[in-house]
Amino acid sequence: MRVMTRSLGLIAVAMALTCGSAYAQKPGGTLVQITQPEPPNLAPYISTSGPIGQVTAKVFDGLLEYDFDLKPRPALAESFTVSPDGKTVTFKLRRGVQFHDGKPFTSADVQFTIMDVLKNNHPRGIATFREVTAVETPDEATAIFKLANPAPYMMAALSGYESPMLPKHVYGTGDIKAHPNANNPIGTGAFKFVEWRRGEFVRLDKNPNYWRQGRPFLDRIVVRFISDASTRTAVLEKGEAHLAGFGAVPYNDVKKLAALPSLEVTTKGYEMISPVVEMVINTKKPPFDNVKVRQAINYAVDRKFAIDNVWFGFGKPAMGPISSNFEPSGLYGKGVDYTVADRVERANKLLDEAGFPRKADGTRFEMVHDITPYGEEWQRFGEAVQQALARVGIKATLRYEDVPKWLKRVYTDYDFEVTSNFLYNLADPVLGVHRSFHSDRIKKGTVFVNAAQWSSPETDALMDKATVEADAQKRGALYRELVAKVTEASPVIYVHELQFPTIINKQFKNVIDTPLGIYGNYANAYRE
Amino acid sequence: MGGTTLGKYIIRRLLQTLPVVLGVVVLNFLLLQLAPGDLATVLAGEAGGAPKEYVDQLRQRFGQDQPVLVQLLSYLRNLAMLDLGYSFRQSAPVLDLLLARLWPTLLLMGSTLVVSLTIGVAMGLLAALWVKTWKDHLISVAAVIFYATPLFWIGLMLILVFSIHFDWFPTSGMEDVVAFHEGFARVVDIAHHLVLPTITLSMFYLALYARLMRASMLEQRGLDYVTTARAKGLPERQIVTRHVFRNALLPVVTMAGIQFGSLLGGSVVVESVFAWPGLGQLAYQSLFARDFNLLLGIFFLSACLVVIVNLVVDVIYVLLDPRIRIG
Repeated sequence: MRVMTRSLGLIAVAMALTCGSAYAQKPGGTLVQITQPEPPNLAPYISTSGPIGQVTAKVFDGLLEYDFDLKPRPALAESFTVSPDGKTVTFKLRRGVQFHDGKPFTSADVQFTIMDVLKNNHPRGIATFREVTAVETPDEATAIFKLANPAPYMMAALSGYESPMLPKHVYGTGDIKAHPNANNPIGTGAFKFVEWRRGEFVRLDKNPNYWRQGRPFLDRIVVRFISDASTRTAVLEKGEAHLAGFGAVPYNDVKKLAALPSLEVTTKGYEMISPVVEMVINTKKPPFDNVKVRQAINYAVDRKFAIDNVWFGFGKPAMGPISSNFEPSGLYGKGVDYTVADRVERANKLLDEAGFPRKADGTRFEMVHDITPYGEEWQRFGEAVQQALARVGIKATLRYEDVPKWLKRVYTDYDFEVTSNFLYNLADPVLGVHRSFHSDRIKKGTVFVNAAQWSSPETDALMDKATVEADAQKRGALYRELVAKVTEASPVIYVHELQFPTIINKQFKNVIDTPLGIYGNYANAYRE
Repeated sequence: MGGTTLGKYIIRRLLQTLPVVLGVVVLNFLLLQLAPGDLATVLAGEAGGAPKEYVDQLRQRFGQDQPVLVQLLSYLRNLAMLDLGYSFRQSAPVLDLLLARLWPTLLLMGSTLVVSLTIGVAMGLLAALWVKTWKDHLISVAAVIFYATPLFWIGLMLILVFSIHFDWFPTSGMEDVVAFHEGFARVVDIAHHLVLPTITLSMFYLALYARLMRASMLEQRGLDYVTTARAKGLPERQIVTRHVFRNALLPVVTMAGIQFGSLLGGSVVVESVFAWPGLGQLAYQSLFARDFNLLLGIFFLSACLVVIVNLVVDVIYVLLDPRIRIG
């Protein structure tokens, strides 16, 4: 294994230079962000519910931040060193950093956050920090992670959004799962939590003692909650709010807003999230246990039509489970191409071979297509797929239920045939991709894992190797092989890489400056 | 009727409502058990996938590993001590959450009640006085249109016209979250934000009261006591204001009391369109999250509100019509 000693000094210098010009930005201003829906709480250390991070990433810092190519850059950790065997990671912490209550941030807080909180309670942290056996603290500014096995993916999951650093003196007392500070977060971040008026807004004020000199520029961030989609559009149009992302604005309104001179639309800021639209097939249920049937459905789906007409052009066809956002880091691979020109003929041929000839009425068999209950566009997608399947003789019925019922049907009862879905790739395939088809993730009652119930010894082995492989090139090769095998077996149809439009008022600059986008800390954002 | 009898009456009525509220709580508790899926699955779902141990751990914390009857009894025991429980999804005590939402809801309902009753009664009164003229037809047609138009559509149109086009009112919310006004400026700000939601929610009820008031006025005017009053030489104006109007108002007050419950329901739509931080939205969200502790708390509070309003209506009766005796 190659030595991963990496000094972040150079990057830090580069940062200082690029930000130097930003000192001319004038401070002040209130940024109003729309977050949909309202977060259930402000405890990102026990819940990864999407809206929480949109608020708390401004309050909590992580050990690292990330550039758009997913390379780490310093945050609370000034630098880190990975030992040759990959089993020891040493973080040098920034000195003189204070929490919002004035107490200093030290290595004891890192130890507490990782070992006592995230490793045991964070829904994804349980997996991210699985290999961490201890965090040693030889002095206040050094935290040494001891690992049972190398965990290269962990280095991509140390942002303030994914792994927020908590003050031990606050969260260390009492039950962490029902903590009095769950709705009153205290961190080291650029903005301090002031007030949460439920059903209305969360107010965050500038942290005057923030460790980045001269930051943040904004005086205040107000995060508003508006449950009606048309009202959200109206509020942005009128300039009462300045920022919205993650599907907060309906796709059919985005075009209208983009035409306004006061607003701009970007699809940047989702590179560490990388949502992929997919259709999960229950491979235990005939006729879907037949690989030819699964491939036929895969060919039948008209990706271009869905992207253009359901998502108004926001997206591009997926070539496998791994998003093309991993192209810069070398982990991207293309699988079997299901978008070929003669895909309808291929689908028909496969279904004939599978033993489902067309009956007198032109149909081959009937199926139920469950719709993921996360917005109206999924019903339109269901209808688009219904038509595409009818073209190859499959009669699909659509079924739409609410979130708890759908989760139970798909992940607990396995009482489905095909369901639409979208899963995040997250910061690393180990965190976001393996769960869909690894044999150890076929877990009844666990949501957003392998509901297709498909796996193979070869693909399991490839993923296990890629999990501990520290060399990015070798990992890339393993993933390319994996993608080829998975797309061939087609337990999940990878439809397209979803792009969320973020709408920003042009008064505000530099808001989306990391691959985490709205999950960023806005320390460099300013009003013109 | 003395003050003591009225006091006794109110106390007796309140005692009578106890079984009603208890029934509401038990019935709702059992009905909610029928909904598929639970809070633990929702929380795990929001987390984007979580290990089974995590979900089991959650269920244990919520007490969902207990039999339904045990859960119900412990809920009732806590309720008796006014402990509405803890919302695990919102990480806060249910009572705190309810109280925070109560006053925006009461504000919106109060202003709607005042506006819809005042304008509705006035419209009905005028229509009855101008009966079978073009003015009467105009009012009646307007009432039917208000009655038939969906609330959310009215709300969005008002936003488009008066907020975006004319820029007279804010689009949504309860106050200006950039300025954060204080003192009297805050009162003015909230009143400014209250205008469009109140108009929207009032439309439907205003139409209802107008139609009822018109019919009631016409009915009363044909009764014997009006003929008597006219015969003894009372001026027409006095007949209308002192006699007909007061009697005609009774059915409208009854209707307003009954409609109070549906006003709570109707406000869900208006709260959602105008991002008004009331109970309706909270109920809607907690239903989809299967946050049963919170939902039961909302049902309990709504039941109490409806019971109290009905009591108030009965007391108003007595004041309006001296013939009605309590007891």
